[in-house]
Amino acid sequence: MRVVVAEDSMILREGLVRLLTEVGFDVVGQAGNGAELLQQVDTHDPDVAIVDIRMPPTHTDEGLRAAKELRHRHPGLGVLVLSQYARPSYAFELLSDGTDGIGYLLKDRVSDLGELAESVRRVAGGGSVLDPSVVAQLVNRRRMGNDPVEELTERELEVLGLMAEGRSNKAVADRLFITEHTVEKHVQNIFAKLQIPTTTDDHRRVLAVLTFLNSS
Amino acid sequence: MGRRTIIVAAASLTMGVGVAWVMFANEVRTASVLDVVLVLVVGWSFIGAGLLAWQLKPGNNIGTAMVVTGFLRFAAALDQSQNLLLFAGGHALEVAYLAGVIYVVLAFPHGRLENTFHRWLFGLAIFAVGPLDIARLVFGGHDPEDCVGCPPTLVIEVTNAPGIVRVLELALFGLGAVVAVSAFAVLLRRWRRASPRLRFAIAPVLWVGAASFVAVFLMVANHFLEEPTGDAPHVLLDVVVASVAFAFLVGLGRTRLARSAVADLVIELGNTPGPGELRAALARALRDPSVAIAYWLPDDQRYVDADGRPVVLPDNDERSVTIVQREDHTIAALVHDPALREDEQLVESVCAAAGLAMENERLQAELRARLQELSASRTRIVEATQAERRRIERDLHDGSQQRLVSVAMTLGLADSKIASDPDRAQTFLREARTDLSEALEDLRELSSGIYPGILTERGLVPALDELAARCHLPVELDVSLPERLPDGVETAAYFVVSELLTNVAKHAPASNVRVRVELVDERVVIQVRDDGPGGADPSRGSGLRGLRDRIEALGGRFTLESAPGSGTVVEAEIPCG
Repeated sequence: MRVVVAEDSMILREGLVRLLTEVGFDVVGQAGNGAELLQQVDTHDPDVAIVDIRMPPTHTDEGLRAAKELRHRHPGLGVLVLSQYARPSYAFELLSDGTDGIGYLLKDRVSDLGELAESVRRVAGGGSVLDPSVVAQLVNRRRMGNDPVEELTERELEVLGLMAEGRSNKAVADRLFITEHTVEKHVQNIFAKLQIPTTTDDHRRVLAVLTFLNSS
Repeated sequence: MGRRTIIVAAASLTMGVGVAWVMFANEVRTASVLDVVLVLVVGWSFIGAGLLAWQLKPGNNIGTAMVVTGFLRFAAALDQSQNLLLFAGGHALEVAYLAGVIYVVLAFPHGRLENTFHRWLFGLAIFAVGPLDIARLVFGGHDPEDCVGCPPTLVIEVTNAPGIVRVLELALFGLGAVVAVSAFAVLLRRWRRASPRLRFAIAPVLWVGAASFVAVFLMVANHFLEEPTGDAPHVLLDVVVASVAFAFLVGLGRTRLARSAVADLVIELGNTPGPGELRAALARALRDPSVAIAYWLPDDQRYVDADGRPVVLPDNDERSVTIVQREDHTIAALVHDPALREDEQLVESVCAAAGLAMENERLQAELRARLQELSASRTRIVEATQAERRRIERDLHDGSQQRLVSVAMTLGLADSKIASDPDRAQTFLREARTDLSEALEDLRELSSGIYPGILTERGLVPALDELAARCHLPVELDVSLPERLPDGVETAAYFVVSELLTNVAKHAPASNVRVRVELVDERVVIQVRDDGPGGADPSRGSGLRGLRDRIEALGGRFTLESAPGSGTVVEAEIPCG
């Protein structure tokens, strides 16, 4: 699988390239800012672009803007955005154009090689990846009035979080050491309690859950 | 009263009485009482006003002009005599005094004709009433038939040439009309351009003057049209001209001392004036609505308005500035209409009367300026704090955080290799340990920049030693302090030195620096002196200003000397109380 990496810090870029190579990806291009990234992707047509949010020249959200631009120009491209901070607002901005093939992860997560490889593959396959700490912030935020999230059982909350991270029923089942069938039942209960219209499509499901979590 | 005044007064008295006697004594042409009174009023009022002007405004030749005009008016009346010589003389000077009137009106109040056009007008007037009129008589312009009871001959008549006379008369009347209309236009223009203060002063003279030019014009027109209105324009002219001198006196009074205005001002200011009332009171006393007061702040060497906002004194002809002093100290500057320069005494008396009130308002303005400065400096301190937080976040993001992420990555690699390739895993672990030490070093540097631990543990003196040792410049440190000072003072002093050294390293990297810190009268006095290029300006760049703000927030003082080419000396004092 072909990957382009955009990261302005030399240490981190080299580290990332080493990790990706180690887990079997082919790093075909490297960039230090948004413009270089767009150019590298145009040139190499990779499967996935891994993008740091904060890059020169403004050191604010160049990566985010470059990522959106990439999705416009290369609809089939998977984009995994890495950030030093877990910001729900950035995640939503990124997902607002559709959740297909997009991911938002804290930089720290890449030290888990298995998790990194899975995330890259997921966005390459059109799935979505959302950092657990962003999901946790969304789930744990206090809501006005009666909070239907509070009616969820412990297990249902776990399932909800994993769903929101973009995992499929099978992945959730594997994580929690339960059967896929049990996961499906939990999912149905969660949708009923939160009054979200049911959908079986994993990709659409993420957006529905996130929209609910972010509302009110 | 000078000798000249007495002589002139005596002469005018004699002349007036003489003219009156000539007029009354003429049995052929008996003058009416009105005629005599008008002549005496015009003559004496001009001479009297002229003498007064001599007294009040020495050096202003308007007084002379008025005296001359008065005597010319008397001279003109001599044509009422049957004596051939007096008759001829009077006749020749019949309208000469009108040139004097024009001069007085045009030159009021400064006593000089302000531009070439005015000088031309005056010159033409003299030419008309002098040479032209006399030439007319010389060539037989005097018609005995028109002059009932006049002596039969005019001794200055040389020949009788009606053609020449006709031309000269046309020239005389035309010139008279042109001068009268032009002078009228000049007055109109002057009125429209005058400031309210000046208008008030020149109004009487201007209007009476304008009226006399109208009268001259009517008289000329009357002559030209063969006198359809008889003698009326002559009487009108005499009446109007008679009032010129009185108008002049009123105007003189107005441009000079508004004594009662000063008295009113004193009473008004006795009741402590409220905000803005002082300015209004001064505007009334000076009759200058545009008057503005700028208060002097000696500490800052600048002017502010009553609200404490900075004021720049005007430097042009449209406004005048009078510096107000009290007990030899400048307290304010009065920005006013230039017309008041004519009347320095009034301005001085008003300033003297308002001195205390101005000093009060100056103190308030100073207070307001301080408050504004305080509020601005608080804003700057808050902004500087925010900027500092951003800087720390950036340092953390670009430094330790990145290194730590890198450590996490390397550990991830080690983890993935530990079973399959323990040797490589060990290499990764060693790499991670090195990275971790570097991350720690970054953090240490950052945290000691935020607050150096040695300051709390050992105090200011060792902390400054350490600071000087770390500095990339050669620093000569001369610290004489008791063991420990209050925490806040030590911290402030440390950061003053630290920031000044950073500043020198940034702007004058090739300098040697001397740092002196000592305790004087319960104040820590810090002096940092470099031999760099100088020219530092705290109003530019936020570094020095931020430092000044923080020192002043602690009740301290901050001074900077940095002439280009002679290094920079910064002195900061921080009170220990």
